[in-house]
Amino acid sequence: MSRIGVFICHCGINIASTVDVERVAEEVGQHPEVVYATDYKYMCSNPGQQLVKDAIVEQDLDGVVVAACSPLMHEKTFRRTAAAAGLNPYCCEMANIREQCSWVHQREPARATEKAIEVVQTVVERVSRDEELEPFRLPLTKRALVIGGGIAGMEAALDVANAGFPVVLVEREAHLGGKMARLSGTYLNLRAAPDLLERKVEQVLKHPNVEVWTEAQVIGVEGYVGNFEVEVSGKVSGFKLGEPETLKPETMTFGVGAIVVATGWDPYALERLPEYGGGEIPDVVDGLTFEGMLREEGGLRRPSDGRVPREVVFVQCAGSRDPERGVPYCSKVCCMVVAKQAISFKERVPEGQAYVFYIDIRSAGKGYDEYVQRAMEEHDILYLRGKVSKIFRDGDRTLVWGADTLSSRPVEVAADLVVLATPMTPSRQALDLAQTLRVGVDQNGFFSEAHPKLRPVESLTAGVFLAGAAQGPKDIPETVSQASGAAAKCLQLFSQDEMTQEPTVAYVVEELCSGCSVCVEACPYDARAIHPVRGVATVNAALCQNCGACVVACPNKASRIYNWTPEQILAMADVIVGTCRRVR
Amino acid sequence: MNYRALVIGAGIGGMQAALDIADSGYEVFLVEKDPSIGGHMAQLSETFPTLDCSQCILTPRTVEVGQHPNIRLLTLSEVVAVESGARPESEGTLTPALSQGERGGHFRVRILRHPRYVVEEKCTACGDCAKVCPVVVPNEFDRGLAARRAIYIPHPQAVPAVYRLDPNACLGLFPLACGKCGEACERQAIDYDMAPETVEVDVDAIVVATGYELYQEEAVMAYAYMDHPDVMDGLEFERLLSASGPTGGKLVRPSDGKVPKEVVFIQCAGSRNPEHGLPYCSKICCMYTAKHAILYKHRVHDGQVYVFYIDIRAGGKGYEEFVTRAMEEDDTVYIRGRVSKVFPRDGKVVVWGVDTLTERKVEIAADMVVVAAAIVPSARSRRLAEVLGIGVDEFGFYTASDAEMTPVESGVPGVFLAGAGLGPQDIPETVAQASGAAAKVLVFFEAEKAKRRKDTDRQD
Repeated sequence: MSRIGVFICHCGINIASTVDVERVAEEVGQHPEVVYATDYKYMCSNPGQQLVKDAIVEQDLDGVVVAACSPLMHEKTFRRTAAAAGLNPYCCEMANIREQCSWVHQREPARATEKAIEVVQTVVERVSRDEELEPFRLPLTKRALVIGGGIAGMEAALDVANAGFPVVLVEREAHLGGKMARLSGTYLNLRAAPDLLERKVEQVLKHPNVEVWTEAQVIGVEGYVGNFEVEVSGKVSGFKLGEPETLKPETMTFGVGAIVVATGWDPYALERLPEYGGGEIPDVVDGLTFEGMLREEGGLRRPSDGRVPREVVFVQCAGSRDPERGVPYCSKVCCMVVAKQAISFKERVPEGQAYVFYIDIRSAGKGYDEYVQRAMEEHDILYLRGKVSKIFRDGDRTLVWGADTLSSRPVEVAADLVVLATPMTPSRQALDLAQTLRVGVDQNGFFSEAHPKLRPVESLTAGVFLAGAAQGPKDIPETVSQASGAAAKCLQLFSQDEMTQEPTVAYVVEELCSGCSVCVEACPYDARAIHPVRGVATVNAALCQNCGACVVACPNKASRIYNWTPEQILAMADVIVGTCRRVR
Repeated sequence: MNYRALVIGAGIGGMQAALDIADSGYEVFLVEKDPSIGGHMAQLSETFPTLDCSQCILTPRTVEVGQHPNIRLLTLSEVVAVESGARPESEGTLTPALSQGERGGHFRVRILRHPRYVVEEKCTACGDCAKVCPVVVPNEFDRGLAARRAIYIPHPQAVPAVYRLDPNACLGLFPLACGKCGEACERQAIDYDMAPETVEVDVDAIVVATGYELYQEEAVMAYAYMDHPDVMDGLEFERLLSASGPTGGKLVRPSDGKVPKEVVFIQCAGSRNPEHGLPYCSKICCMYTAKHAILYKHRVHDGQVYVFYIDIRAGGKGYEEFVTRAMEEDDTVYIRGRVSKVFPRDGKVVVWGVDTLTERKVEIAADMVVVAAAIVPSARSRRLAEVLGIGVDEFGFYTASDAEMTPVESGVPGVFLAGAGLGPQDIPETVAQASGAAAKVLVFFEAEKAKRRKDTDRQD
């Protein structure tokens, strides 16, 4: 390159209040290859981008450096800008003078300016050695794998299938429906929920584009976005209508282009709540067990002696919001579930009394607060703000000791039945599956989304999307919306004819490669292999994440990354150590 | 044969839906009532629970929307009529600029484009016009905390990056009373004679993402002192915190420019108040108040924050932990109880409330009071619902055909819903839901295609 343009962004005051941007432009402009250097208030704004475009054309630039924020933020933006002006987008690089300069050196503006100049100069050296690159093109399998046949998985599968693409739905249990199938009703559809779910299951089973596997699991996943190879074992229903139990177990490997993880949640073990008699007192049950009791045709009976319970205590946050002994997070749905369960109890036992111990009532959702108000006012459910300290057996009664923090008084209730609102925890297969799929989980074991605000249905692994409680506790409406969101991501992928892949990946200089396979072991993405015939390392460009581990590991310097070559890195280092000869 | 969607509202919900549809290869008309896109998210300083800078994560999206080859952005525009069931063969009276195919759509939509008085294609956002404009009015984007001229750009990163002449603030257009901006504009981009324009477009599906506003019933939620400069709502406080805001991110109180040392946050202002305000919970306030408390402490280390609350509703990933951080690391004092009165005294704003846990009255002489005003639907939601034939609840929020099983479907085939127009919800929920609405649009297109194939077969 010989004609480089440098564009210094003020980022409002984010950079300009610390770094003397005009001086940076002036200093960098001294470089013999820099033919244009300027600064602007917001380079990412439309006028800012226009500035870059105009300069590329007018100055006939063959390289661009944008000194602004992190490339994670706007590299895409400016490469697109460069491309629009006819420059190869891979000859446009960002110099990070915000996160790594102005933000961290706010108290030393003079030295921050010096650092910014050096940072930009290093990137100028890099750009001057950048090659023009073209994206890779890869084939695309237009079929989705949905893991989990609860309401989330079914919704995602139906959306993808209704848009005309084949879907394989894998469910670990013998039947579809997940946890929703175990509910007596929901707070939005107290009576209709089971029917609505049944209809959804029907739609899935009858859909010509959906292949349902039951009692099944995903045992292996190879490949990458657009081209996953998945291995599934279980019972396939083929073009269904057969009962699952008549199906033959099978193991099969097939290709899919996208994967939706909708593995939902599992209940918290009652045994983890010994202070509440969990797992010990038969009349202390969790919410899901209580749902089963509400579904009993013969009416509500308590487990110990089959009697109709009159005094029922609901304990919220039993295990949640308890960083010391339970889980630190809020399980989000319990406040509404308990209100619904208490109402359902009162409908079955009108003369009964329901007590709810709570910390905060979290009924945030459309009509939710009003729902809890009705539970209190119309159904006379007694809400007590306080934690329960102990639940124990006293004869055939179960005593609940708690505190009412509003009246500052201890409370004792002799209960016939205690329902513990235990937290949703990640599905028990989540961790294994996360490893198989190479996607991240958070500290609580829920699948991690790519960005908590703006990419809530994507994982950080391209082509793997998230739906429902697998990503964190959430209720049915939120799950259904999110599941459709995950489907949208699949459909977006399938709308292309082929995949494109960033070309800034590793490559091997075969003449230097000894085939030692150190890089194969170093690669965390399984992107490397030794060619069986040529005996040299090869790179699967689709899997390479550009991390550079192979470059460091290679004893022969045969591993390189496009536009991150050793020559570039050394030239950049030269700037830093002050030995860069600026005359060419 | 190409299918097209209309997305109404270009906040984070509408932008996400538009991008998902456009990235799937379909054309999208994105209609926004304001001069620029990004909605309320563009006004936020940081977002919870990661404290990401809102503009920083938003601008890549606004830029993408502005540049997307499949998205046609119509700002300062509103949908005034929708006719459904337009036949495939109908020859429309499409405005040539917008007509991109001969085929009619499932809906014929009439859009009123308010005049910008600045030609978008000519404006370079140089700002010469605003420098000579003699009129100074409060800037809506900064919630009135800063001023703008009659000709202005809402904020520096606005998309589209085009000035707009506010006809209500201008000294006079008919007849022209001043004309300085027109003289200053080298590109001659200012067109004082620009008239409202009605365009018709044919689309096959619609996503309604008109978002929210803040409750303004002062007597109810602001304890009658909302006009006091140091009593403000959450969005005003966001602007005060924002690096791109009127104070450049320096937290000072509007009345005298001093750094406030004691700040009181009042939650549920207007919400959860069936007698005098609104019965529902506004859902996002607990989290943004915790965020405000943390951000305030980041700027004023020796300051003290008090939060009045009824319940702390921190249901979401990392939310509970975030509120705990506000309490433990930033020493925010949470007081469970309602505020009864707010009034000025000796340069302070006095807050009277009750602590229901100790059953004691509380008085705090604060330097600043921030009121978490209830979330209400966009002012036009009822009228738009009428135009579209979709349902709204008693508050004006759109209603889904089944809130649980079909949460993004309006009940009118082809019309889908996303974001806070459905009810208060936070950004991740809105984004996921907007993608959900986009999926339904894509599925609906497939169904329409199948129907038309069948019709064609029958004709053959």
